[in-house]
Amino acid sequence: MILSPDEWQIVRLSLRVSGVAVGLTLPVAFGLAYLLARGKFPGRILIDALVHLPLVLPPVVTGWLLLIGFGLRGPIGSRLHDWLGLTLIFRWTGAALAAGIMALPLMVRAIRLSIEAVDRRLEGAARTLGASGWRVFWTITVPLALPGILAGVVLGFARSIGEFGATITFVSNIPGETETLPIAIYAALQVPGSDGAVTRLALISVLLSLGALVISELLSRRAGAGRGGHVL
Amino acid sequence: MRQIARLPYLLLAWFAALSLSAAASAKPPLVLAAASLQESLNAAADAWAARHHERPILSFAASSALAKQIDAGAPADLFISADEPWMDDVQKNGFVAPGTRISFLGNTLVLIAPAGSRADIAIRPGFPLARALGDGKLSMADPESVPAGKYGKAALTALGVWTSVQDKVVRGDSVRAALAFVERGEAPYGIVYATDALSSKAVRIVGVFPSSSHAPITYPIARLSASTNRDAESFRLFLISGAGRAIFRHYGFLAHRPQAL
Repeated sequence: MILSPDEWQIVRLSLRVSGVAVGLTLPVAFGLAYLLARGKFPGRILIDALVHLPLVLPPVVTGWLLLIGFGLRGPIGSRLHDWLGLTLIFRWTGAALAAGIMALPLMVRAIRLSIEAVDRRLEGAARTLGASGWRVFWTITVPLALPGILAGVVLGFARSIGEFGATITFVSNIPGETETLPIAIYAALQVPGSDGAVTRLALISVLLSLGALVISELLSRRAGAGRGGHVL
Repeated sequence: MRQIARLPYLLLAWFAALSLSAAASAKPPLVLAAASLQESLNAAADAWAARHHERPILSFAASSALAKQIDAGAPADLFISADEPWMDDVQKNGFVAPGTRISFLGNTLVLIAPAGSRADIAIRPGFPLARALGDGKLSMADPESVPAGKYGKAALTALGVWTSVQDKVVRGDSVRAALAFVERGEAPYGIVYATDALSSKAVRIVGVFPSSSHAPITYPIARLSASTNRDAESFRLFLISGAGRAIFRHYGFLAHRPQAL
């Protein structure tokens, strides 16, 4: 299947939006997951609920909240624009923000489970052998949680690639800027005689999703050899 | 145990009741209508209901989206499109009941800005829209498919400014989506119908596109061939009657004498 330049542009943009979304969300998701898995503090339930909000809210509500918050007239968006010269609305960066927020709960859930599954006696043993807190974190906790981190990245990536409702509400459809795969498919659906174009775009998204799942399975087999940390 | 043995009978009774109630209640007609008709068609439906008819169910979206749904077999009764090509598409596919297609409304295309903006620009050949936009976006309906976007692209092309602004276009999935971004002040300019601009206090009309710059904006209505609803045809006749057209005229539509196609 040979892609036309327009189709390449859509695929590249989708990968860029999802890649940036997952890349920027990962540290945040890990921090929140660690906090929720290990932390004991008042208000934990509230943070837990807030993290899950994008999962249960209608995506169009998330998009509307982004629009009124991060638009040029929004309290956050106007300051980002005036102070940092950063515009999110109608930009691919805004699409990445929307995708990242939608991916966050899935990533936190997967990572949190794997952190909770880490045997704390192993960490304790490492400490008694003289390892520093950082060293325990990087050589015991993170490697043991890796299958869950990878699962979170794959889930987050898949969610980002498929993100539609919040994206179209916040950054609308601008070819080359915010026209990701789902938005391109939705727009093509409304063009007369577009069944061929829609079929090709749909096929591309099937291939992308399958590819992501296969890669993640291979990765998690490697990382979780013998520990059964499979996504599939 | 006795209660569990009764369960199948209860289920059966429930299904029977469901199917009976479905058969007994005649459903009101379902009207698929262009997004720009939102307020006006609702008012027409209210007027119709006030004449002791069942109020039709109205579903608004871009004409392109609706036409695609009809082509896919959507079980609706009436279709009102914001341009002729989409009705042609539906008719070509055999979904229009013969002799029921008629164009009964007209509209004009306008350039809008947020109500508080000082935007001031005269629409004429080669007018400096790109410069006026600056870093901002031009909010319009999708110019590839949605009627308001197609008219807008045609008008800007005729005036020789399309190529200079096409990279700044935000493509809304309906004319109302395009309107909303200007209402919020997120886009400094937008292209919508005059009736859309009149429906919102948050935008003002900067200029009117000359009718010679685009195909005439006409709204054809038709009954769909799959429709079996008896109220559908009388509602259609009401909409195209003098009383019906007066309601649309109140909302800023041009309601000329209908012409059958």
